[in-house]
Amino acid sequence: MVEITGMKQVSEVVWEIPTSYKQGMVVPARIYATKKLLGGMDRGVFEQVTNVASLPGILKYAYAMADAHWGYGFPIGGVAAFDMEKGVISPGGIGFDVNCGMRLIRTNLRFAEVKPKVKELVDLLFRLVPAGVGVKGFVNVSQSQFEEIMRFGVKWCAENDYGWDDDVSHVEEGGFIKGADPSKVSTQASSRGIRQLGTLGSGNHYLEIQVVDPSRHFDPELAKNFGIVHPDQVLVMIHCGSRGFGHQIGSDYLRVFDGAMKRYGINVRDRELACAPFTSKEGGDYYGAMVCAANMAFANRQVIVHRVREAFKKVFHREAEALDLHIIYDVCHNVAKSEKHRLNGSEKELLVHRKGATRSFGPGHHDIPAPYRQLGQPVIIGGSMETGSYLLIGTAKAMEETFGSTAHGSGRTMSRTAAKKQIRGNELQRSMESRGIYVKAATMDGLAEEAGVAYKDISEVVETMSIAGISKKVVALRPIGNIKG
Amino acid sequence: MPYRFLSNVAIADIAYEVRSRDVGGIFEGAAIALTEVMVDRRTIRPRLKRDVRVTAEDIDRLLYDFLTEIIILKDADSLLFKEFDVSVEGEKNLHCTLKGELIDRSRHRLRNDVKAVTMHMFGVKKAKKGLKATVVLDI
Repeated sequence: MVEITGMKQVSEVVWEIPTSYKQGMVVPARIYATKKLLGGMDRGVFEQVTNVASLPGILKYAYAMADAHWGYGFPIGGVAAFDMEKGVISPGGIGFDVNCGMRLIRTNLRFAEVKPKVKELVDLLFRLVPAGVGVKGFVNVSQSQFEEIMRFGVKWCAENDYGWDDDVSHVEEGGFIKGADPSKVSTQASSRGIRQLGTLGSGNHYLEIQVVDPSRHFDPELAKNFGIVHPDQVLVMIHCGSRGFGHQIGSDYLRVFDGAMKRYGINVRDRELACAPFTSKEGGDYYGAMVCAANMAFANRQVIVHRVREAFKKVFHREAEALDLHIIYDVCHNVAKSEKHRLNGSEKELLVHRKGATRSFGPGHHDIPAPYRQLGQPVIIGGSMETGSYLLIGTAKAMEETFGSTAHGSGRTMSRTAAKKQIRGNELQRSMESRGIYVKAATMDGLAEEAGVAYKDISEVVETMSIAGISKKVVALRPIGNIKG
Repeated sequence: MPYRFLSNVAIADIAYEVRSRDVGGIFEGAAIALTEVMVDRRTIRPRLKRDVRVTAEDIDRLLYDFLTEIIILKDADSLLFKEFDVSVEGEKNLHCTLKGELIDRSRHRLRNDVKAVTMHMFGVKKAKKGLKATVVLDI
């Protein structure tokens, strides 16, 4: 375990690094982890979260969630809220894949009905949803339509026959974040993104057929509110983001901020923490462009849902509506947003960065869709393709403690290069099939890199957040079919 | 090979190091390594040509922008390249002739879809014998 001078245990799963740890820290850093997870965290997490704690205008704490691992600038699993006037915005606090996120769709099918058709379903989805290097999406749009997508995300999709009326309200922020400014997006970013609407990407992105794990159906009554009524019900999970469009916006503004910091007298310990005051021209321009990417990502996941509905219809010979293929929810886990939170006894508007972290708003929050408002926001935690995923809900304690935030996934423990040296993709594919997980991958190298052993124990991550009280377990989901980019 | 992949630098991503006696070799090696992350370069044929010109404030930013151009060409034009004929003037101006072809999933052994070049550890430094560049890619 990495020794951190002065780190103290605040509660069973919360650890605090004081401002005395490093010169320039404005606030302490807090890490959410069991002793086991803390012991496995790389030094980069501690160095990066304390670097974040040194940024201008940061409030309360810099956070690392239980799935934290080394990232660029911010750790993955990082949360930081900034004063809107005195604080900064940082592409490193969001990630290149703006609004990478998770979407969960339910079906009314049970495992026994789907099991014999998993291969047919996965093979069809693999054809319908392009994945991997340099693939074109299945939605052709003009530049002006693409700009509408930048502004209106899922709303554009629903108005253009790529969604149902109630899809919009079941996506974080109602399917689009306000404040998009397409004039702040470079030609290169548009050229990378315009042909990629309706593509999964590669890396850790996936489209997965899942089944409720009956042995970990934690709160069946609560689950009913999300339409999960059977202990072996089949669901579909999508993990992807804004593709080359968001990646280029991240690259463009990293360059802009790298040069702009001098002008604002900002010194950072790591070039990837490049930032600018939120109120500056550069800060405002990046926010307007970043929101465009976030809305494109919402739309990307939406058009993929459209294809999922088509695939189920074809394989099960029933209309998608009859199969109850409704979106349970969609969460961002790489984004910065303006949100109102209570701080020192009064409500204040803050800029909350979540990089590899999920919003976890508690019961009663007006941003939660009406059917779920009194329960808390659905939180979708994606695991590795071998180990499964979770549906949780947000809590009042998350609002008090972490600016309404929790973890996002399992977090890596092994590098891609190391994983490829240890694991062969085709052997892993056969092994997974023998365990009831049928996987189709764009490349075998990519499959090997995503093996379960390369990730932390997701159950330990979820348990940490549950013990901390910043999200509550509803149901665990195990994979039965997976498409990897 | 003028480059080697680094196993323990970027947990979620891919890092590599390039060594060369001269600036042109660094840029060519960095482009080849980037391409090898995306595809087995042996499966690419040099069937069409593209010219890339980049101007930047310094050698680090010149390399960053050059590698970013290769990523843009992959996404915007579905192009991957086998050969890179690079000439760098004054560490601020680059001209590269790239030879490659359109992505063909049936023939190319594709690997990772690179998202971006990061600034983490990024840069060109003097080494014992010439120059060394470190690049970390976001996957």
